[in-house]
Amino acid sequence: MSYFIDLVIVGLSLGMVYGLVAIGISLIYSGLDVVHFAHGEIYMLGAFIGLWVFNTFGLPFPLVLLASMIITGLIGVVIERVFYRPILKSGGGYTVAGMAMVICGFGMAFVLQNIAFLIWGPRSLPFPVTFGMPIEIGNLTLPSSYVWIVAAALVLMSALHLFLKKTRLGLAVRAVAGNKDIAYLMGINVPLTISVTFGVACALGAAAGVLVGPINYVHVLMGLGILIKAFAAAVIGGFGSLPGAVLGGLLVGVVESLGAGYLSGNYKDIYAFILLIVVLMIRPAGLFGILAKVKA
Amino acid sequence: MTAHGTDEAAPAATTGAKPVTATRHLLAWVAGIGVLSVLPWLAVNDYHRFLLDLILINVILAVGLNIVKGFAGQVTVGHIALMAIGAYTSAILATKFGFPFWLALPSAVLVTALAGAIVGIPSFRLEGAYLALATLGLAESVRIFISANDYLGASIGITDIPPPSLFGLRLDTHLSYYYVVMPLALAGVYFSFCILRSNTGRAFKALREDPLAAAAAGINVQKYKTLAFVLSAVYAGCAGSLAAHMTPGFIHPNSYMLAEMVTLLLMVILGGIGHIWGGIIGAIVVTIVYDLTRDYYNYQMLVFGMVIVLTVMYMPTGIGGIIDRYIVTRRFVALRKAKGDAA
Repeated sequence: MSYFIDLVIVGLSLGMVYGLVAIGISLIYSGLDVVHFAHGEIYMLGAFIGLWVFNTFGLPFPLVLLASMIITGLIGVVIERVFYRPILKSGGGYTVAGMAMVICGFGMAFVLQNIAFLIWGPRSLPFPVTFGMPIEIGNLTLPSSYVWIVAAALVLMSALHLFLKKTRLGLAVRAVAGNKDIAYLMGINVPLTISVTFGVACALGAAAGVLVGPINYVHVLMGLGILIKAFAAAVIGGFGSLPGAVLGGLLVGVVESLGAGYLSGNYKDIYAFILLIVVLMIRPAGLFGILAKVKA
Repeated sequence: MTAHGTDEAAPAATTGAKPVTATRHLLAWVAGIGVLSVLPWLAVNDYHRFLLDLILINVILAVGLNIVKGFAGQVTVGHIALMAIGAYTSAILATKFGFPFWLALPSAVLVTALAGAIVGIPSFRLEGAYLALATLGLAESVRIFISANDYLGASIGITDIPPPSLFGLRLDTHLSYYYVVMPLALAGVYFSFCILRSNTGRAFKALREDPLAAAAAGINVQKYKTLAFVLSAVYAGCAGSLAAHMTPGFIHPNSYMLAEMVTLLLMVILGGIGHIWGGIIGAIVVTIVYDLTRDYYNYQMLVFGMVIVLTVMYMPTGIGGIIDRYIVTRRFVALRKAKGDAA
């Protein structure tokens, strides 16, 4: 029984990480009408930047997290401005240009991966943060790194919620996600808002990378698997829905963890995909019933 | 000959010229076969012959990917998994069950076609980027499954896949293997022109432009989407099987990583999506460049990825688009000249 609970706890904390990346993908989808294929690489880049900040300046972990989020967010804004903006100008969504965007993102993923490889090399690097003693609740011992992940993810998610609901910029982001033309008419600076959306999404991806660093190693190929899992999480929760993305992430994390524990660890990365296909077959709109936005 | 690459079959420039163009096309094909037949004898060494085989296999792959991506407009990035399925089916049948190549190849094509139909299933429900990510997940799942399954050689791969033999003659040199690959590649290219000009091809194009309007015009969307995936899977299975049986007869799960998919995608994007000749040129160029830059493999993905991004940004129609524009301009000038002469 305690084995089961352990697996669920591991699954939940990893699920939080998937949820963070999935929120990023959902945000970009709502703002730019495209699925960002290079988001897994942003996550990887965030982890490496966090590691670099940690090793160079020796900051405490929360500051490392913050620094990595800011730097990666800015990198994201630059990528969006330089590469994605011209393509999106010729029409986004599911047109032929939408296909161009998918292909462009796919190419960009491998460019970023190769850049990280050239800078940091092919080895898996440890992220030597010490979180202190495991926490004991009743007869359960929780490694404090997992508690950290869940706490930090919750803080970030509530910050995002407050940003979207309470600030004027957040209101602009939601307006742009709703309808760009009307947002323009309301006097919102739509291009700037899209950049902000993209930057925030990239910052969340980076945060996920930094959070997962101490429990897994940081390596160049870590981005691809998370992209598929986060995408599965976003679809399972209903694409474009932020709470759905978090719940989807938790579900993917738990299923994966239980599958690895009880079935076979070798096929660990396949479970999320099977879950995705099953959900798509039964409820294509996701578990929370929000119909996917399809552009006519 | 190049005029075939345009979406419509080339209309005869002047009336009554149709038999002439038909003969010209036939002559072009015959000349092409002639050149292709003597090509390996002109190659300097065996490595170049190996490269020729590789180019032709990649041409088969690129032409196949063009059917699902270019004709039918379904965004798939999991094509490499279909090739892996073809290669592994063929290899397992040949090494574990003793099938000869001539039986293993069709069996592999059949199995891959079936897999293609399965890949096509999510395309009923998913569009655009959704479909791309679903196929990406499928491709990764296939690779992980292969590299973790002991029966399929796990991370060691499968060795000693027998080369094809004909009347007791083992076709284990790259020169003899060329004459196995070349007719298949040629047939593949010809077949894809046939598809493009048939009802099926027109249905694919309608599907690409607007699935809703296509359905309203009486096209069975699900049927044609599946058909597109199955057809491209046939090509992928054939290419996979050919790659597996080529000397030294060794396949490894790492040959079917997503990085290879970038290379494959680059061939089609650079050539121009939906353009058959463009895809072929793309396959030739990318294979040669890939081989020449083997020493700089650390930078390969960086450059290839960047070329994909920049092609999408600045040359969305690829090489094929440039060819088309050249032909159209030439035809336009010829027409104007004819008109001027008449006046």
